[in-house]
Amino acid sequence: MGTFLKRHRWVTPLALLAPGILWLLAFYAIPAFLMFVASFWSGTLETGFTFSLANWTNYPDAISQFMPFYIRSIVYAAAATMTTFLIAYPLAYTIAFKGGRYKNLMLFLVVAPFFTSFLLRTISWKIILGDVGPVLGPLKGIGVIPQDFHILATPMAVIAGITYNFLPFMTLPIYVALEKVDIRLVEAAKDLYAGPWRPGGLVTGGIFGGVLLSVLGLVFNADWPILGAFGAVFGAVVGWFLVSESFIRVTFPLSLSGVFAGGLLTFIPAIGDYINAELLGNPDTNMIGNVIQNKFLTQNDYPIASALSFAMMAGVLVVVAIYARILGTEELSAAAARA
Amino acid sequence: MTTNGQLASAPISRRRLLQGTALMGVAAFLAACGTKGTAATASPAASAAVPSAASAAGASAAASVAPTATPVPTPAPTDAAGAINWANWTYYMDVDPKDQKKHPTLDAFTKSTGLQVKYQEVVDDNETFFGTIQPQLQAGQDTGWDIVTLTDWMVARLIRLGWVQSFNLTNMPNFVANLKDTYKNVGWDPDGTHHAPWQSGMTGIGFDPAKTGNLTSLAAYFTPDPRWKGKTELLSEMRDTIGLTMLYLGLSTEQPTRDACDKSVVALQKAKSDGIIRGLKGNSYAEDLKAGDAVLVMAWSGDMVQVLVDKPGIKFNIADEGGMLWTDNSVIPNGAQHKNGAEKLIDWYYIPENAALVEDFVNYICPVKGADVALKKIDPTVASNPLIFPPDSTTARLHIFGALTEADETYFNQQFAKVLGVA
Repeated sequence: MGTFLKRHRWVTPLALLAPGILWLLAFYAIPAFLMFVASFWSGTLETGFTFSLANWTNYPDAISQFMPFYIRSIVYAAAATMTTFLIAYPLAYTIAFKGGRYKNLMLFLVVAPFFTSFLLRTISWKIILGDVGPVLGPLKGIGVIPQDFHILATPMAVIAGITYNFLPFMTLPIYVALEKVDIRLVEAAKDLYAGPWRPGGLVTGGIFGGVLLSVLGLVFNADWPILGAFGAVFGAVVGWFLVSESFIRVTFPLSLSGVFAGGLLTFIPAIGDYINAELLGNPDTNMIGNVIQNKFLTQNDYPIASALSFAMMAGVLVVVAIYARILGTEELSAAAARA
Repeated sequence: MTTNGQLASAPISRRRLLQGTALMGVAAFLAACGTKGTAATASPAASAAVPSAASAAGASAAASVAPTATPVPTPAPTDAAGAINWANWTYYMDVDPKDQKKHPTLDAFTKSTGLQVKYQEVVDDNETFFGTIQPQLQAGQDTGWDIVTLTDWMVARLIRLGWVQSFNLTNMPNFVANLKDTYKNVGWDPDGTHHAPWQSGMTGIGFDPAKTGNLTSLAAYFTPDPRWKGKTELLSEMRDTIGLTMLYLGLSTEQPTRDACDKSVVALQKAKSDGIIRGLKGNSYAEDLKAGDAVLVMAWSGDMVQVLVDKPGIKFNIADEGGMLWTDNSVIPNGAQHKNGAEKLIDWYYIPENAALVEDFVNYICPVKGADVALKKIDPTVASNPLIFPPDSTTARLHIFGALTEADETYFNQQFAKVLGVA
């Protein structure tokens, strides 16, 4: 056996890869291929489906008809990824650098919601955010907000739901990256006169916060100048008081790998999510996943449902490729670290 | 940086993987083309395990079974060994108060006939469940179920596709004798030997009178009254929401036409753009009504029995314009291994005393003659509940949603998808 392995060195890696490859083949590649074939069908359940390459028109038909849903999915997923990042980064930073002996407990608390099912967690938000629930009920009672104000059945509720559900996927990779940052590098930066980031933090934070909330406000038909102003002030305050030069020049660049991984782990499943839209949204907040579900299960339109799914997969690949180009290369994080 | 490095190297191995699968893909592709594409749906489970064998199996299945004319397997004179498998909805069977897993009437059946029953509450949505049995039925295989209980329009589809078996009525004397007359002579099963009604329910107006006042007209769903504007929920079941809208517009639900569908969709879209409609829901409307997120809903009578227990102020009315009546029916799918036992089991619940025991637990309307009389002896309160045994004045206002051809069903669903906000 030993000599056999020595003579055929290729066997070992192949044997080690085999379970993973077989698993991917059986449960990803083959179903994906069958779905691809189905996207070239025409016909109905009753007459049977026939395959023809001429049915490539399923793709332009499906995509042009459902383009608004693709765009909405990308916008919601991007907004949720951004919000998740803004919440997860300070959280991961605190756990990694200030956690002390409570580090493991805090990490456990990040993952704790996962001990409940995804559905139950989302449904519990319905109770919390209910029109006369524990949050809005008392506020309405003392007249702070109008009686017909509601959060459920709005885009905000859907994005908040996605944000909540994917928070650990963002937090854990960032934590892992931050945990590995050598604290001596930060000390060295401080020795080299890295102080508070002023006035850079004020300007950067102000612009970042202002633009982010203005765009969100524009997308969701909210009062964008007010939101933008709020974001600018908030960002400027955070930048002025909380961000140091050593963080911008050392810690953050070294954590980019975690940000990259967390971004992918949040964005990709968020695009395909339909549970949050189904439970927390209204008929105008449906995402592409809701469309595919309806096409597949209610209308039995397997060809179009398959074309929609396949087009989404291709679309996600393109988005991820662009994202990887921008944020994912070693060179970029290395360059940022040098700067 | 290792995370980064791993991610960066991932595409290479994935690409190699895809190259490998591409070869296999070509082989499967050729096989799939040979059977005009239908084979690909034949058996996902089998094809996932052994691709080449699956293509072959799919090909032979498709060769012997055209989807339009699935031959009914000749019923075995005696059943295969093993329990009768019954797929039903949740809370649709009596349970032992001491042990929630025990169903006394099923145990009595086993005691009386010696036949074991494996009763499973696996149906929570017609379409989702259909998706789980469709590949086997299309390939002419056993679904693993001897009885499935589904709503009438889905049963109509299964009958239309030739995917369910005709009953041997000599096994079913009680079914022949005790099925209520209103359930006979339906258009989609003219000789009445393919389906046995299990429970029925009504669809009507559910509301919180403290917030909305008393409502007796379907016009409420289409009137932007501040009392329920933005707090109104419709049902995501096409036949309920379109059906009630048709009744509101004075159109026939018994003979649904595309024109009537179009008019209903226009009315519903207007209600949405007027800001009346908060959403279209499945069973979850009941929770929203209890929580106060909704004050006016389209509601199923059986849910309302339960809601009234939790929140007694809620009201349920069958509107002046009418309400919908729908039925879940038991059918025996093609390839069932225990057809004789299944027929005996279906028949068991057409004995009024057994039906009464079920009715004492579930909150829907019973299709069995004499069940109300039998129930009065054991539980007079339930027997006098108008939601479970509705008076004639109510039943007179109920309508069924007529059968649709496949083309019309597709059309209705496509139009309704606009209302759902997914088209």
